[in-house]
Amino acid sequence: MRVKLEASNPELLRDAKQTARRALLDRFRILESTEAEHTFGFTSDESGKIFLFQDGERTSYDTSQTRFFKFFNSMLRIVVAEHAVGTVFIHAGVVGRRGKAIIIPANSFQGKTTLVAEMVKCGAEYYSDEYAVIDENGMVHPFPRDLSVRDENFGEKEVPVTELGGKTGIKPIPIGAVLLTEYVENGAWKPRQLTVGQGIMEIIPHTIPRNFNTEFSLKVLNTAVSDAIILKSPRGDAREFAIKFLSFFDNFINLA
Amino acid sequence: MNNSQHPIARKTGLVVQEVPDEVLVYDLESNKAHCLNQSAAMIWKSCDGNNSVSEIAKLVENQAGGKVTEDFVWLAIDQLSENNLLEKQIPSNFEGTSRREVIKKIGLASMVAIPVIASLVAPQSALAASSCVCNGPGACNLNGPNGQCPGRTCNGAGLCVAP
Repeated sequence: MRVKLEASNPELLRDAKQTARRALLDRFRILESTEAEHTFGFTSDESGKIFLFQDGERTSYDTSQTRFFKFFNSMLRIVVAEHAVGTVFIHAGVVGRRGKAIIIPANSFQGKTTLVAEMVKCGAEYYSDEYAVIDENGMVHPFPRDLSVRDENFGEKEVPVTELGGKTGIKPIPIGAVLLTEYVENGAWKPRQLTVGQGIMEIIPHTIPRNFNTEFSLKVLNTAVSDAIILKSPRGDAREFAIKFLSFFDNFINLA
Repeated sequence: MNNSQHPIARKTGLVVQEVPDEVLVYDLESNKAHCLNQSAAMIWKSCDGNNSVSEIAKLVENQAGGKVTEDFVWLAIDQLSENNLLEKQIPSNFEGTSRREVIKKIGLASMVAIPVIASLVAPQSALAASSCVCNGPGACNLNGPNGQCPGRTCNGAGLCVAP
């Protein structure tokens, strides 16, 4: 897909490009063409306010450059996730283990990054704390941005996976398990195994192109999870759970 | 009871995906997703406008390999109609009886899994599944538990920030 960035001054364009580079993990090419499916525009006024335009419509403004570009970073990732050709983006944490992906679809604030971080500390390979990027053959590709770790005051900091002593997965891998879970204080892990259909129903709300490219999304989800174990349950402490679940998963893969 | 009804499965505005033992149906008009178990799917596929309820019962009986009553078929038709998966809405055949009672009655007599349709409304915007962002002052409500970004307010520029 092609995204055009246009700005009223060179400094804004430079900052927009840098943000795009971070948002998309440097996975883009600069094209000479002026044709694009999506356009982001940037202007500023004399008071220092910066304005964001998406496909010609003003969507946001800010006086803080940091906040403004953080927002643009989110918007750009969403647009790419929704319209990327040949892939389906699911809002999910992903780790790799024994050549299979464990995906954890969930909304924000449900402990997705915490769980991914703990699994990585236990030796799982890091794929993403934001998106499971799945191709038409059902393979999950890494989208390894720095982990966005929140503190108790809901502040965020970006933590490279190496700081956790972990490593990033490189190869596309098939899904071995779908974990439908969220943190509940003193929560007990009592999983219920879901059928493929029930599992996909749970994943649909987290599937970014579900409205834009429904048929392709459902087809890819079916291909991706039809050989996976799909489990649903609340969980308690992430560390304890990560150890227990990875041990279960190792046995499951050995038996499969 | 009107077993001379000839229900017709809706075709337009739907995306259908067969999965092992189930059928997923996504309604593009309402953004609703439905998961039909095998029994419900068999009945839905038999609703071609030519088959009557009693004929559908016989067809499903042959496919499923167990006794299927007309009430069994009606249980599916009720749910299909309620979820707008038929061309025309069909009034419930179990007026005055709760679905739980009907399921109990049919379930006890049937060797075939009772027809079940699970449904959900998918969020309309991809934004709802992403980071903590908002679309206007005081509207920091696109994500997080209970529809809120905890401890945050919208900065008026699309970002939810600590106050």
